Amino acid sequence: MPARTYRAAVIGLGRMGSTFDDEIRQGGQFFMPYCHAPTYVAAPQTELVAGADPHAEQGAIFAERWGLEERQIYADYREMLEAERPDFVSMCTTARLRASIMIDAINAGVKAIWAEKPFTLSLDEADEVIELAARKGVAIAVNCSRRYNVFFTEARRMVDEGELGEILQITAYTRCTLSANGSHAIDTMRYLAGGDVEWVFGEMESDEKAAGDEDLMGNGYMAFDNGVRGFLRGTPTGAAQWEFDLIGTEGRVRSLAQGMETQYYRWVPGGPRGRNLPARAPFPLPTTIPSMGPAVIEDLVQCIDTGAPPRCSDQDGRKALEIAIAMRESHRQGGCRIDLPLPDRSLRLLSSETANDSVPARIRRLSGQ
Amino acid sequence: MPGKVFRAAVIGLGRMGSTFDDEITRGGQFFMPYCHGPTYVASPHTDLVAGADPHAEQGEIFADRWGLERGQIYADYREMLEAERPDFVSLCTTARHRAAIMIDAINAGVKAIWAEKPFTLSLAEADEVLELGTRKGVAIAVNCSRRYNVFFNQARRMVDEGELGEILQITAYTQCNLSHNGSHAIDAMRYLVGGDVEWVFGEMESDEKAAGEEDLMGNGYLAFDNGARGFIRGTHTGAAPWEFDLIGTEGRVRNLAQGMETQYYRWVPGGLRNQGLPARAPFPLPTHIPSSGLSVIEDLVDCIETGRQPRCSGQDGRKALEIAIAMRESHRQGGRRVDLPLADRSLRILSSEILSDAVPARVRRMQSK
Amino acid sequence: MYRAAVIGLGRMGSTFDDEIQQGGTIFLPYCHAPSYVASPHTELVAGADLHAEQGAIFAERWGLSAQHIYSSYRDMLAAERPDFVSICTTARHRAAIMKDAIEAGVKAIWAEKPITLSLAEADDVIDLGARNGVAIAVNCSRRYSPFLSEARRMAQQGELGELLQITAYTECYISHNGSHAIDTMRYLVDGDVNWVFGEMESDEEAAGDEDLRGNGYLAFDNGVRGYIRAMSTGTAPWEFDLIGTEGRVRSLANGTDTQYYRWVPGGLRDEGLPARAPFPLPLSIQGTGLSVIADLVNAVETGSDPHCSAEDGRKALEIAIALRESHRRGGRRVDLPVDDRSLRILSVEIGGDTVPARVRRLRQEPVVA
Repeated sequence: MPARTYRAAVIGLGRMGSTFDDEIRQGGQFFMPYCHAPTYVAAPQTELVAGADPHAEQGAIFAERWGLEERQIYADYREMLEAERPDFVSMCTTARLRASIMIDAINAGVKAIWAEKPFTLSLDEADEVIELAARKGVAIAVNCSRRYNVFFTEARRMVDEGELGEILQITAYTRCTLSANGSHAIDTMRYLAGGDVEWVFGEMESDEKAAGDEDLMGNGYMAFDNGVRGFLRGTPTGAAQWEFDLIGTEGRVRSLAQGMETQYYRWVPGGPRGRNLPARAPFPLPTTIPSMGPAVIEDLVQCIDTGAPPRCSDQDGRKALEIAIAMRESHRQGGCRIDLPLPDRSLRLLSSETANDSVPARIRRLSGQ
Repeated sequence: MPGKVFRAAVIGLGRMGSTFDDEITRGGQFFMPYCHGPTYVASPHTDLVAGADPHAEQGEIFADRWGLERGQIYADYREMLEAERPDFVSLCTTARHRAAIMIDAINAGVKAIWAEKPFTLSLAEADEVLELGTRKGVAIAVNCSRRYNVFFNQARRMVDEGELGEILQITAYTQCNLSHNGSHAIDAMRYLVGGDVEWVFGEMESDEKAAGEEDLMGNGYLAFDNGARGFIRGTHTGAAPWEFDLIGTEGRVRNLAQGMETQYYRWVPGGLRNQGLPARAPFPLPTHIPSSGLSVIEDLVDCIETGRQPRCSGQDGRKALEIAIAMRESHRQGGRRVDLPLADRSLRILSSEILSDAVPARVRRMQSK
Repeated sequence: MYRAAVIGLGRMGSTFDDEIQQGGTIFLPYCHAPSYVASPHTELVAGADLHAEQGAIFAERWGLSAQHIYSSYRDMLAAERPDFVSICTTARHRAAIMKDAIEAGVKAIWAEKPITLSLAEADDVIDLGARNGVAIAVNCSRRYSPFLSEARRMAQQGELGELLQITAYTECYISHNGSHAIDTMRYLVDGDVNWVFGEMESDEEAAGDEDLRGNGYLAFDNGVRGYIRAMSTGTAPWEFDLIGTEGRVRSLANGTDTQYYRWVPGGLRDEGLPARAPFPLPLSIQGTGLSVIADLVNAVETGSDPHCSAEDGRKALEIAIALRESHRRGGRRVDLPVDDRSLRILSVEIGGDTVPARVRRLRQEPVVA
């Protein structure tokens, strides 16, 4: 058993920081523990030492649930950083404050940050955090969780080892606002395609929405540098629920129904003219199925030890945001392709989670908001 | 984190005792660690303290692999039992000696036995071991591993919670000798159906085979006490390799291709006369996927603490053997149904693994190359 | 009984069905001569082709005497006065032949796709056909597929809920087989395209008039959005995916598999899961060509439009041209209808069309698609 060498703290003691796992009753998309506090408690490398939240009741619930003393809970995360000197810090607040908290945490000397998505609201903010983290050698993982899900990591392994042949197409049906859960969808497309996006075309749900900064739904076409083409439908998807379809010359992997089913197709002889048919073969599972939260911790520990970037890095978080913004720009400009990177770094998307964030989501749910 | 750590020893230091996991490159049927040595090393509940094998080279390989001193390896398992006083003992020898070793281990005061299958060769041996084990309060788990596989556990949960309605039929396509891997097949049928077999009909591969005591292939029809009916094809299965098909009034679960794929069907409206159609829904995975071996240990620890029977108990092992023997009796009697339990306890099947068991299987494999 | 003649006595006119070994997209008889021979509504009375050897083969195969084979289709039209005429020549001459046939007084034209090369030609033919009351069917055969017709029935009767998305993976040149792909998308969503975005395989190809590959995003007037990938599709050959709020139909592997999904209870948070139900087959399936003839007979007798009308043929061409225009304009959305009617795509089949394709195949020259 490894020593619990790293001190971990959570900032933002609500749903993702503490209780998200309670909602999930079936595996597939998530394997438990998944969210931050239960992961720090379960992972052999970390010890949960503190939490910070401006809302006292959130702190009290957190302390009781995860066995912390009252003095380990702080109203001000800056005081917590100074008093506890954590090695790991999780960013589970509203996205509104994420950039400034990350900057404070880096300056306070943490070794690793595990940040909720979206990474930041604006490209400027993302640039600043990434520059500072690189300078100070802090590993930042963004919780685009499918990079830590065994079905997706296995699909990517098949890509890397050539089992799917040359990758041609990635299609996503993922009803979402483009910053909040769109960051999951876009990041997963990049991860599976194994390439980077050179340009995009986008159609937003309405001209009014596209004109503003609020988070919004939309569809997009993406051109990757390795020749792959992507299509994302973020507007309502009906009977196609959170689905990814990765198509190569030799094989194909589809993740359906929020990850609850994964299909693998490969060629077999047959067909109307004997030119072969794609047949469904069992999806090759690895011999152990890791829990997702501990997989993030393992990744970050390795980053601290080796200096390698996390599997879902701050750069990945910035790219997901930049692609979402570029899709909106495409619509704003009357429907035209937009090249990446975007020169205007002041562009931003107010992730839908920031609405009403002056009150904890738990309270809003209780009061039926 | 676990409290007491149990001392564990392995008797028979070959494939199942030590190296089986090396053969497995894909998950589904097994999740690692699966076999005995690596499981005791990985489990937080156990320390691997000793091994016993009459073949010195087997002992040396085992010691190197699992980090034991030469003093912890014994040629005679009786000496090992006396000197090391293990709490857990694994029986991974040829089935020829399993009953005798289990009796010695029980008399030596072990708390739990994890036995490979088949449980014994004859029914009389099984009776004796179970009687003694019960009297001494020893928990005996037989490694019919599907009871510790997450897909089978979920299917059984669906049965127990009524999600499949009333269970009608279990069909197994499992090419195997009826004692050797047939013990897996028959046990998995009993487990999925959640009932016990009252009578059987069987057809063996030939009259000659059926007349003898050597392990053999055959097919059978099983009548369960809860009304379910079973069909097992243990003769050649062609394009249906190791498949279980569990059919209820409300749902159906099929486990295909040696466990690599599991399908779930339930009713939707439609059909020729609008009487409903079975539709394939994603199979509900649990939120955490345990390793197979570690699940056995968890189960046995709980049995030691509570006195209950293991998920795959000695009784289950005896029943699998008794059903296989009854199927052969059915053939021997010219094709008659045979009621259980069997009156003649001297009946036995010489499990195919005991052929040439004077030489370790590893050495036989090397010699045949 | 209607008198039927075929112009262009090669692959589509005569022998295509010989290549097909399995049903799905196509049921036989499918191509023109065998359909006229098999249909109870028609009698095959004549054929016309510039190449004498083509005529000789055709006469022998379909039991016509030599005097009913003409080298000039104008002579044939004047001498035979056919009611039905099939246009199976290279697309280069299709518009001119259709106009001659209309003026010669035929009742119905069964034209191969694409309908014409330029929009102006299509406008011309449609205008003349309407004025003379001639029924024109373009052989976009998927409108006559029992599976896709059933999918469209389900959509029209609300069984799929509100339609949201149509995705096509159809490796093809966008005029040649793209006319199939685009027409099928329009057919399934039962809507018309308002605007498109397109990416062609290269700037050079997009700049010319030759047939080409590309991808596109289609905005339909009923709110549906479409995505077509006509660049290489690897393991997703000829697939249509129609997604509604209540159900989904996928036609896979060039029509050899059709899947239907509808909601069942379940899911990560019990919000429902799409499950695969058997696709509802129609009560009878007839040869595709026979369906075309029955449709045209109905159009002749009632004045209704054929299932795949000349108008549908023109729309498929116009959408393909608009996709190319989008690329030509640097990646901008292009509204329909397209103003410049001189725009055209030289369907890939006209390459090398001075020599019959059969002869080219004999010489082992490459023949595209």
